[in-house]
Amino acid sequence: MPYGEKSSFEAIKLPLTWGIMVIVAGICVIGVLLFLGDKRAEMTPATYGQRAAFDQVAGPANNLLSTPAHWVGGITGWFDDYLFAVSENRRLRKEVAELSRYKTDYLQARELNRRYETLLQLRTDPEVAMVTARSVSVSRGPFNNSRLINAGSADGVKFGHPVINEQGLVGRVVGTAPQVSRVLNVTDVVSRVPVVVSRTDARAIMSGDGGGYPRLEFVRGKDAVKKGDQVMTSGDGGMFPRGLPVGEVVPGVDGGWRIHLYTNRGPIDMVKILKYDDFTNLPDYTILNAPPVTDVLPPPPSSSSASSSGSASPASSSASAAARPAAQAASSASAQAAPRPASVATPPVARPQTAPVTPAAASPADGG
Amino acid sequence: MRRPINKNMRRGMAGKTLGPQEWIGIPALLVMAATLIMATNIPLPWGLVLPEPVWAVALAFSWPLIRPSYVAPFILAVLGLFLDFFWGAPLGFYVLLLMAVFAVTFLIRSYIVGQDMAIIATVYVVTIIGFFVMGTVLTTLYAGQVPRLWGVGEQMLATLVTVPVMWGLLDKYLHADVRFQ
Repeated sequence: MPYGEKSSFEAIKLPLTWGIMVIVAGICVIGVLLFLGDKRAEMTPATYGQRAAFDQVAGPANNLLSTPAHWVGGITGWFDDYLFAVSENRRLRKEVAELSRYKTDYLQARELNRRYETLLQLRTDPEVAMVTARSVSVSRGPFNNSRLINAGSADGVKFGHPVINEQGLVGRVVGTAPQVSRVLNVTDVVSRVPVVVSRTDARAIMSGDGGGYPRLEFVRGKDAVKKGDQVMTSGDGGMFPRGLPVGEVVPGVDGGWRIHLYTNRGPIDMVKILKYDDFTNLPDYTILNAPPVTDVLPPPPSSSSASSSGSASPASSSASAAARPAAQAASSASAQAAPRPASVATPPVARPQTAPVTPAAASPADGG
Repeated sequence: MRRPINKNMRRGMAGKTLGPQEWIGIPALLVMAATLIMATNIPLPWGLVLPEPVWAVALAFSWPLIRPSYVAPFILAVLGLFLDFFWGAPLGFYVLLLMAVFAVTFLIRSYIVGQDMAIIATVYVVTIIGFFVMGTVLTTLYAGQVPRLWGVGEQMLATLVTVPVMWGLLDKYLHADVRFQ
């Protein structure tokens, strides 16, 4: 074909504007289908599989980028330590002197607590194994709050494991690759965490909204919350263990209650992943067969016997103790009336052994 | 041998042609690199954090103005998927947002090209606002929870740093190839 003449392919004239708009429309249709089909709130280990490969590549890349910054931070920190060593030493001496006063009280209280636990045969939570990792990447936008950490399934990290730092609760693992995990921050818009106000034991749901002050919603009880109340995880739903510190209650400008997260106190760099699955991670299953607390506590004096026999409680107590095996089935009534610590009012009940229920997946009404 | 009379002219033009890799590929890679860098978890003093601008908005606005292209929407979709994966957003979220910016800009390109920089910058700012309004609506529909509007404003302000990027792209590529006219 002579030079300068158009080939048959070049002669094809496509309507450029319409062609591009058709392409854009097609991509939009695909985008809508992807968007409707991807429910992060219902994220499971299986649905995360398609993202694991990406995170496995992005995690080390960000780790590589953050390493020089940490070196520089370490060097500046070393200079700070050197320059402010004297003032810090004075401050620490004063702090040690103040804390020494509490040390004896703490040791005595701990020993007393241990004795009470032994006496009541309390089923305290088992130790939970942890993995330490570094946050290498973070998305801080209002639409997504998540981070990548450099520990993954090879380190034993699984879907749903809670993540904390030295301040408090950070989030939970929503996806794992061999060396990298993605953590959904408690501030994400799809995050729902069942919490409890420690002062009143009032249950509530902490709902993230993309900011550092998640909402405190569905608070049970009247006047159950006031400014400054400490909030911790309630353990409801089984995703988080009870008692992880979360933050303090502050009034929001919208009239509702919000939580000032403890993790706002400083940057989230090093985190710990709690290998907390469920009762499946109990080190000793036989402790579930331990006798209930009601068996070791004296039964409460009934109102009729108290009014008729007066100070016959020792006798009735021993009689009750003797008849306990026979009356085992009927002990629930006396158990409810027995004066005992609130922490043992509900003996551990096996939580659902099904697939982990994400706090975000469960509706707020069911406390998940 | 027959020589076309416009051979030298063609050679001169050929020296000024730009392939899609120059005005689409390289900026896309730079945007991905910038997103990676800004997402790095670097502890800063006084509780400060790195901003998180959506760099890809600059491309979604600039590409249809520079030249109508069949390749650009596909690359933009790849960028959107990259943001979805990297920021942990639901799949398709940033694809839709970027495509909306691209489509609207493409439809009104004849009114924008040739205007003063102030006009273009104003349109771009309005585009950014529309981008985040649409993002807020999609997030609300998706999560059943209105995202923190103050946070939306913060990221919107952070994204305004891409105005020079947009201007740089237009300045460099809008008249760089005679075929783009």
